[in-house]
Amino acid sequence: MEVTFKVYRKDPEKDGKPGRSNYTIDIPEDATALDGLLKIRDELDGTLAFRASCARGYCGECTMRVNYKACFACTAKVSAFTKKAPEILLDPLRNVPVIKDLVFDWDAFMWNKIKALKPWLEPDESLSSGENLLPDSAMQDLRKVMSCYYCGLCDEGCTVLPVDFDFLGPAALTKAYRFAFDPRDKDGKERLKIAEQPKGIWDCVHCFEASEHCPRGIAPTERIMAVRDKAFKVGITNEKVARHHTSFANSVKESGWLDEGRLAIESEGLTNIKGLMKLLPTAAKAMARGKAPIPYLHPKRPGADKIKKIFQKGEQETK
Amino acid sequence: MKYAFYPGCVSRGGCPELYPSAVKVSAKLEIGLEELKDVGCTGAGVLPQYLSDPINARTFAKAEELGLPIMTICSTCQGVMSQANYRLKGDPEYRAKINQEYLSEEGLEYKGTTEVKHLLWVLFEDYGIERLKPLLRRPLKGLRVSPFYGCYIRRPPEAITPTKELNRRKNYLDELIEILGAECVDFSGKGKCCGFPILTANEENSLAMVGKHTGEAREKGADCMVTPCPLCHLNLDGNQPRAEAQEGKEIGLPILHLPQFLGLALGFDPGEMNLKRHIVATQTVESKVSMLA
Repeated sequence: MEVTFKVYRKDPEKDGKPGRSNYTIDIPEDATALDGLLKIRDELDGTLAFRASCARGYCGECTMRVNYKACFACTAKVSAFTKKAPEILLDPLRNVPVIKDLVFDWDAFMWNKIKALKPWLEPDESLSSGENLLPDSAMQDLRKVMSCYYCGLCDEGCTVLPVDFDFLGPAALTKAYRFAFDPRDKDGKERLKIAEQPKGIWDCVHCFEASEHCPRGIAPTERIMAVRDKAFKVGITNEKVARHHTSFANSVKESGWLDEGRLAIESEGLTNIKGLMKLLPTAAKAMARGKAPIPYLHPKRPGADKIKKIFQKGEQETK
Repeated sequence: MKYAFYPGCVSRGGCPELYPSAVKVSAKLEIGLEELKDVGCTGAGVLPQYLSDPINARTFAKAEELGLPIMTICSTCQGVMSQANYRLKGDPEYRAKINQEYLSEEGLEYKGTTEVKHLLWVLFEDYGIERLKPLLRRPLKGLRVSPFYGCYIRRPPEAITPTKELNRRKNYLDELIEILGAECVDFSGKGKCCGFPILTANEENSLAMVGKHTGEAREKGADCMVTPCPLCHLNLDGNQPRAEAQEGKEIGLPILHLPQFLGLALGFDPGEMNLKRHIVATQTVESKVSMLA
């Protein structure tokens, strides 16, 4: 079949401006986008840059967007994308610094962020003299996480990265889970502190895009949430987040539901005059529209005492 | 047709215009609501799972006792409850543990039969669009509306869109906008995060998201945006002026709650839907609607 490949181009050695090159080629019905790219490079344009390795959907090296959908070029059948017209669009991922054409900077995109989370085991050497043996069941959950092959699709789906490239992102934060929940790691609290660094777990909006994008079913969003829950349990070290979560929990614990006015004030900190002043313009506007919840004047829900008991039990169990 | 109504904290707190609008619209549609009053906050993704799952199991058990499915009017409540319900329904051992440790003292037991549905889902899956259409007194012709779903009414797939048929949920709001006679203005941010969950942790990023989504919808020519999530509303409406200041652009995009939008098409006046309570002025919507009356 004859298909036109419309490929994103950018050459830093020329003007560095993004553009597109069109290549019309004849490929078999079952060809993949990667088959097409290889043919173009071999036969039409040796300057076209892209990455690929395993060619069987197992390494993530050829991650790109095909007709704006992020996938692996090596498993994306061209025929599935050319039903409307005999053409196919190939672009790099959205949230990446492009080096040339479809090749982007993996270090800046992901590896440097993973490195920031100290992705190595720090075993508690006082526990054993030789091997640190664990029952198979203790590693079952972590094995799932360790099956990640760093294709970057979760970071591609991330809602935060388009507004803040420095956010550590779901791939790296899932790595934080892998060590925070490893029973052989010596200091859980230290591990959580690393994950709580600026641009870390608390900057995640838990939108579940990462989980939806993950081709391995690792559920990165749920992993980040689990690390946050663990931090909540042992004590959050990010001060502002700690104030917010404590206020939220206290409000529900005491009244059964959320006192939003109280949450706004206590999240800033009752003695943080500058922070509280910042709330004033929005609060004044809300008050003028009759929609500013008055802090602390918050009636208890009828079942509040039962909710309080759930809190007390939950807190007791985690001790 | 009756539901155990779970309005959520924000519909009477930061968005007090939502609760009465939802009640009025439900009454007009003859959707019976029995409000669950002695239940707790879902946890909103802030409380850890080990606290929020028992609180939500208790809510499900209360609805189960009434023999009614739950109806929500908040994407966040919907999402957190759907996720908890997915775990509790799918894992009988876990459910038994929660029942025994947290609910039995009160004489409650969650058997795993409660359905939780947002008003948006109720309209399509239970009420029926064919039943809705003849009730539209004011088709919103000429109004250009962008949908904004909120994350938790679209994801995660196992809890929200578990079957191919239910995958349609991802498009309900787009469909409803057209059904109500308005023009759907699609844009890339409709299923993304509004930024509200990180308003405390990273205000700059949160406001950047508000500016990005409302700005894009405005550029595409939307008169307003409609959302089934009051938390999205808090950020997209309440913090839009701050986002404008941070991003250095004027946006001024009115944000409507789903029941308000539906109410206008059912013939309610903007005043009855409490549009005056919004932070971003809603005059453009009101004047277009008044021309249709």
